[in-house]
Amino acid sequence: MDKKQKKTMLIIFGVIAVVLLAGIFLTSGHGGEEEPIQVVMRDAVLHDVYKVNLFGLEINPGLAAGFTVTGILTVAALIIRIFVIPKFTLVPGKFQSVLELLVGYFDNLSKSNSPHINKVLGAYIFAAGVYIFTGTMLELFGFQVVTTAGHSVSMPAPLSDINGAIMMGCTSYLFIMTGGIAANGLRGITNTLKEYSLPISMSFRLFGALLSGALVTELVYYFTALSYVVPVLVGVMFTCLHALIQAYVLTMLVSLFYGEVSEPPKPKQKKVTAPKVKKAKELTV
Amino acid sequence: MSNLPLNINLTQIFLHLLNFLILFAILYFLLYKPVKNFMEKREKTYRDMDDEARDNLRVSEETKAQYESKMSEADSEISQMKQKSRQEIEKNRETQLAAAKDEAERIIRDAKNEATREKERILSEAQAEISEMVTDATEKLALKATAGEAFDQFLDAVDLAEERGSKHEQ
Repeated sequence: MDKKQKKTMLIIFGVIAVVLLAGIFLTSGHGGEEEPIQVVMRDAVLHDVYKVNLFGLEINPGLAAGFTVTGILTVAALIIRIFVIPKFTLVPGKFQSVLELLVGYFDNLSKSNSPHINKVLGAYIFAAGVYIFTGTMLELFGFQVVTTAGHSVSMPAPLSDINGAIMMGCTSYLFIMTGGIAANGLRGITNTLKEYSLPISMSFRLFGALLSGALVTELVYYFTALSYVVPVLVGVMFTCLHALIQAYVLTMLVSLFYGEVSEPPKPKQKKVTAPKVKKAKELTV
Repeated sequence: MSNLPLNINLTQIFLHLLNFLILFAILYFLLYKPVKNFMEKREKTYRDMDDEARDNLRVSEETKAQYESKMSEADSEISQMKQKSRQEIEKNRETQLAAAKDEAERIIRDAKNEATREKERILSEAQAEISEMVTDATEKLALKATAGEAFDQFLDAVDLAEERGSKHEQ
């Protein structure tokens, strides 16, 4: 980049900064939301205010976001399956490399953490990881959904809804249990039941982590003054990071516990009796 | 079922579960399985290529070993043949040498025989000549001269005959 280009870039950034500052000072300080911050925060946690109508059933926006994620991923998977995968080559291109990297990562994760039985584990953690990551990244795009009250709210991450987090935690726990049963039968169930706190910890870890991200983003967007520049850091960076981290944490935990409960029992070793030591009396005699 | 604390709703949990199971099936059949199958197929292709290369290497090493053993066999055969031919040459040389010796001995023997025969022939010829000369001298003595002269002539003739005989012997 030569000096002329640097000057042009600096001028462009300066103009953008001036426009943003003008926007901050010229707009009123009331913010874009009509509801008080308490209502917004409470609804972000409990989802008891805003509901979305699904064929006559009132559901949380998080569930609507879950369906949206499934729809988006289905379309993407179909396009990839029809147009990309048949054109795969032995020497991969960029997109093929990304897909192979993704599938290979989860496959290796399942094989390394659960070497005895891992055929379905790879597919499960792949689906869970992709769902958590894509669902969390959905926050960034701010897709709007109309509530039953007629308000427009942006879709949260599906797992920031406590019902979604409980589903993911409990499903993962049951999946781990199936691995234990498949490998060790009743012993596998016992092994899994030992980790009775796992569904709760996984559910609430997911819920807490994703909710905190949603809350911070919601808070930032609530005030108009904060909705310039700041969301670039807070919104994008935090969302990307916790999307990655939560996907990684859940998939890692599931594969680790799956490997632990599906591990075959170790054969019992015979006790080696130590040779009897002659008494001191005998030795002295 | 929405009266649980924290707004936990079983219906929505099951809807989330249904949603996730559908997504799991879709991702498994449309993405995970085909991509994994392709990766495994490619791995198998490369493994087969590797195995094939190993087989080829093994075969070529075997061929090389065979070639080297044949070469060593040929070397030993050549050395054996060389040894054999050397022995044959030696044998022939000795045979020819013996034959040449025999031939030389035969020639010498023949020459000696020839010389002996020649000597005998010359001696017999000289004796015949002497006896002829003695006869002639005797005749002349008897016919022309006296007994003393005849005796002297006889002695001369004998001396002459002896001289000739010794010359022939030399």
